[in-house]
Amino acid sequence: MYACLYAQNSPDALLDLALEFSPYVEQTSSGAVIFCIDPLRQLLGSPYQISSEISRAGYERKLQANLAIASNPDTAILLARHVTGITLVTPGEECRKLAPLSLSALTSDQAMLAILLRWGVKTCDDLALLPEAGVAERLGPGGVYLRNLALGVIHRPLRIPAETSNYQRRVELEHPIALLEPLLFLFSGALVELCSLLRSQARAARLLAITLDLENHPPYQAALEFPVPLTDHLTMLKLLQLHLERHPPEAPILAFHLHIDPDEPRRVQGGLFLPPTPLPDKLQITLARIAGMVGEENVGAPQRLNTHRPDAFRLTALNLAPPKHTTSQPQGNILRLVIRIFRPALEARVRLVELAPKHIHAPGVKGAVLHSAGPWKTSGEWWTDTAWSRHEWDVALDDGALYRIYQQSHSWFVQGVYD
Amino acid sequence: MAAPPSDPRWKTAAQLPQTIAEEYSDSLKIPALSTLLMNGLARGTLIDASGPRSSGKTSLCLQILAQATSAGEVCAVVDLHNSFHPDSAAASGVQLDRLLWVRCKRNPEYTMRAADLLLHAGGFGVVLLDLADAPARALNQIPISYWYRFQRAIQNTSTILLICANAPQAKAASRYSLACQTKSFSWSGQKPFTRLQGVTVLPQQRKLAALHPQNFLQLFLVA
Repeated sequence: MYACLYAQNSPDALLDLALEFSPYVEQTSSGAVIFCIDPLRQLLGSPYQISSEISRAGYERKLQANLAIASNPDTAILLARHVTGITLVTPGEECRKLAPLSLSALTSDQAMLAILLRWGVKTCDDLALLPEAGVAERLGPGGVYLRNLALGVIHRPLRIPAETSNYQRRVELEHPIALLEPLLFLFSGALVELCSLLRSQARAARLLAITLDLENHPPYQAALEFPVPLTDHLTMLKLLQLHLERHPPEAPILAFHLHIDPDEPRRVQGGLFLPPTPLPDKLQITLARIAGMVGEENVGAPQRLNTHRPDAFRLTALNLAPPKHTTSQPQGNILRLVIRIFRPALEARVRLVELAPKHIHAPGVKGAVLHSAGPWKTSGEWWTDTAWSRHEWDVALDDGALYRIYQQSHSWFVQGVYD
Repeated sequence: MAAPPSDPRWKTAAQLPQTIAEEYSDSLKIPALSTLLMNGLARGTLIDASGPRSSGKTSLCLQILAQATSAGEVCAVVDLHNSFHPDSAAASGVQLDRLLWVRCKRNPEYTMRAADLLLHAGGFGVVLLDLADAPARALNQIPISYWYRFQRAIQNTSTILLICANAPQAKAASRYSLACQTKSFSWSGQKPFTRLQGVTVLPQQRKLAALHPQNFLQLFLVA
């Protein structure tokens, strides 16, 4: 059984009154508050006695409100909003109590109301008498919902707002810790608590921030931002371990503070016919391990920059989202010749004959030019620090390979080899 | 000696076509190499793509990556010499946002360890291990057991490991060995207004010759 209190002007006072009787209270947008009274039966007795107790508490607070008690929340809300005073509905009598209410009490959908009025349906009683199949055929799921509302047969749990938690833990240590392993043991305990709290509230971690108080040093701070929200404490612990191995604190640790920035968990509908992709949490650990070896700046998905500057790119996060549709090869069976870039470009000594390269000497590249094409002048971004201006040549050497070389500021470079 | 009929490792000659069909049922089809690899590239295998400079081995590898990423697969490039060129890859049809690029600072040990981590993480369609232009001395120091470890890591998975180098590396551990050679360079126009048109290369499939009646091909790579 559910009790609903409704007053037009004092929603906060109603909420305080409801919280006296139950910790789990739903507050609707119209200002009504609703709570379950089943646990009160052992304390206060029958629904009639409970309603008396609620009205007495309201009288003491000088509140003028309607009270309705019914077997489901929606019936209680409808009766509290549209019937003055106290209304008690015994189970099975919902339809009879709701019968005189106007249809406008059920919905504000003017199109639906207009259709029902054209049919001559004016009250909840009229709507409840309509056959369900006919309503579904003509008005769809929305019409069926209204009919069930008029019958008073919709049972649902209360919509209780989630408790706002702060996902953080601070631990003061009795003795300073200098080694990583005992520290990880303590982190593990804190992360288990935080992750279970996250999971209980259907949340996931987007960012994990740590602050370590160090002995005779300023605090150590770090933030691990996860590409996909995580709820697994072992994954977070491993990522934290890899981070601390790469960037160890300078002094023994006196206390630590963990803070998790929550986010919606990742929900992905897999498909039987989609290609497999790496598991996000496993991939994060793998990438963190690789970044520990080669550096974070050397791992990622290449993204070309919107410029004509040669070899302009940056590394971004890998796209793990399932493809919406597969793209076909645009060029069909045509194969493109690609170039392998020397980074940095190899400085070369070039002998010219009639302004064309005839012999090249650079580290790993040496030979006479058999054929050449060029020069192709490219330049740009003269208004920025990344300006370039060069003359490019494609040259075939007698070592059997094809290179791209360029001249910039009177110096020659080998940019890459076609392969 | 007659094979025990219940042992699945033993096959008769009559069962061979069915076995091949099962093995290649989810293979990665490469239209440009369909003459050379009729059934495509079988999943869970190592492929050696080798050849000297300008032989087209990198172009073939990027073509395979383009096919995989276009089908929505996530792929990876483990790059020893930091020589991967994103513009060339995009022109070949590689979807760059589905490609993980690991630059290994010219360190062969990092390269092999990074490849090992990626293969054991699983879920990648194609992993390209780019060892081209690496000094022979550095490559000779790679233990042969690494290739068998990689083979074990990807067998029965959908991952294909592509090894791009100047000479075949995985040897017996690889399923295919594509050896590339340069045939000629094509130029257009008269001097001094000549322009590179492309390169004609001759990739050759050196393994499983019985399954591939034509084991060589002539390809023109457009510049």
